[in-house]
Amino acid sequence: MSTQYSILFKQEHAHDDAIWTAAWGKSEADGSETIVTGSLDDMVKVWKWSDEKLELQWTLEGHQLGVVSVDISHNGAIAASSSLDAHIRLWDLESGKQIKSMDAGPVDAWTVAFSPDSKYIATGSHLGKVNIFGVESGKKEFSLDTRGKFILSIAYSPDGKYLASGAIDGIINIFDIATGKLLHTLEGHAMPIRSLTFSPDSQLLVTASDDGYIKIYDVQHANLAGTLSGHGSWVLNVAFSPDDTHFVSSSSDKSVKVWDASSRACINTFFDHQDQVWSVKYNSTGSKIISAGDDRAIHIYDCPM
Amino acid sequence: MASFGWKRKVGEKVSKSVVQQFEAEEEKSEKDDGRVEEEVDWLHAIKRRREMLLEDCAAKSKRLEDEGALLAEQGRHWEAIKKWDEAIHLTPDNPLLYEMKSQVLTILHEVFPAVKAAEMAVKFRPLWWEGWQTLGRAQLNLGEVDLAVRSFQVAIHLCPSECTLWQEDLEWAQRLKKQQLATKEKIQQEEETKKQILNAPELEQDYDFESDEVLAACVAVAERQIHYEELRKTTVVMDAEGNIKTVTGDEGSEDTATPSKEQFVKARGL
Repeated sequence: MSTQYSILFKQEHAHDDAIWTAAWGKSEADGSETIVTGSLDDMVKVWKWSDEKLELQWTLEGHQLGVVSVDISHNGAIAASSSLDAHIRLWDLESGKQIKSMDAGPVDAWTVAFSPDSKYIATGSHLGKVNIFGVESGKKEFSLDTRGKFILSIAYSPDGKYLASGAIDGIINIFDIATGKLLHTLEGHAMPIRSLTFSPDSQLLVTASDDGYIKIYDVQHANLAGTLSGHGSWVLNVAFSPDDTHFVSSSSDKSVKVWDASSRACINTFFDHQDQVWSVKYNSTGSKIISAGDDRAIHIYDCPM
Repeated sequence: MASFGWKRKVGEKVSKSVVQQFEAEEEKSEKDDGRVEEEVDWLHAIKRRREMLLEDCAAKSKRLEDEGALLAEQGRHWEAIKKWDEAIHLTPDNPLLYEMKSQVLTILHEVFPAVKAAEMAVKFRPLWWEGWQTLGRAQLNLGEVDLAVRSFQVAIHLCPSECTLWQEDLEWAQRLKKQQLATKEKIQQEEETKKQILNAPELEQDYDFESDEVLAACVAVAERQIHYEELRKTTVVMDAEGNIKTVTGDEGSEDTATPSKEQFVKARGL
């Protein structure tokens, strides 16, 4: 338990090219912490986080082009990855074997997100449809239509009620999952929304955009609760801390910023990357942050609890 | 002690017009030196003059950029490049200039300079997908298919809604990559067969000349030669849908039936 923010570990040259995406999961079976990264070098790598260092566990080959997005199921057993080759692949994290490969159709797989019960995977498509695949069936089970543009980002609310999508034209859509109805359409940003995330209590939605701003919305009333500035360039990723009090953002200005959710102030800035930081995530307790980006490095930071 | 003067800085890399401007300004300031020396804050005077100069550079560069674009539209490509080079001299960190220059260099089949120019464009504006697209296209012209595939992927990652990137650039580059792979494989196969003809494993052991083994070895060598001949006649062909086939050329001609004389002579020589 540390009392201040500090960099804990650096894995230089984690991939052969830019790292575009990272996820942090915890295995329900043995409590081990797993990190999955995806890169422009077509590889998905699985790392074990133990004794305050990273150990490469698996290098998963299969994608023909760069890996855009990865996610880990909530029990920590399965990883999903999507690539520019339009395939979504499911991997068994225990054995390092591919479970399934799903052809999403051209340009129809961008961000992947597991549903809270880990039975489904949602991904956006270029025609503004959110496609939901069954993990068990490996098939597209249903889709939600935003009638909008290319969907770059997807997030499930932790309570399983809502699904939010962010489009390339800056429009945010919030769906009710039970009925499949479009609840709210928010015109928050005028530029692409590369990431959005719900707070652990599912009350707030945080969005990150190329306009350099982070916005916070009250989900129930669809009200804008705050606009945060601080990044000098595109905001590429946001993630909420499991303790509900902080969230973290990464940007193409090479920085990672930690924000206080109630005061909406930036409380720490990490300037450790040499290039754009594409991905940032919390671990399951909120005690660590991982970031990765174009400089091919994975960084782990310590957070005060 | 050495006195300060602009002339000291004149080198090959400094343009003549700029030097003249500096000299004129120096003379002017020397003239009214005596009068203003006490009132002027030297630091600020110099600073202000630099700012003015920077502004001038930007405006002049913009004019040259537009002139170049106009020339390029009229097909006067080399003249356009000359204008842009002048503009780059004034504003060396403007990515637009490099990107346009790269496009025109590509038209002129100056493949390597085109790649160099596009690399400068993405260096100064790494989040600009059009710069990456131009770089990818230039790399493709140079034959660097793998690098082009990478550049197009970076462009798509920055702007995935751009259909031309997916449908034209990336798909085409991937198709070329496949073709390149198939060709490479074929060449390797050909070379291996050739190697086996020259040092045939059958010839390594001694034979009893009366036995059937000699005959068998000769047949094996001959068969391998025919195989090599066939391989040499096939070419890797890609059809419109991007499927790759190996096609035997000169089909029906006598060559396919009888191996060439040259090879026969070689086989006997062994």
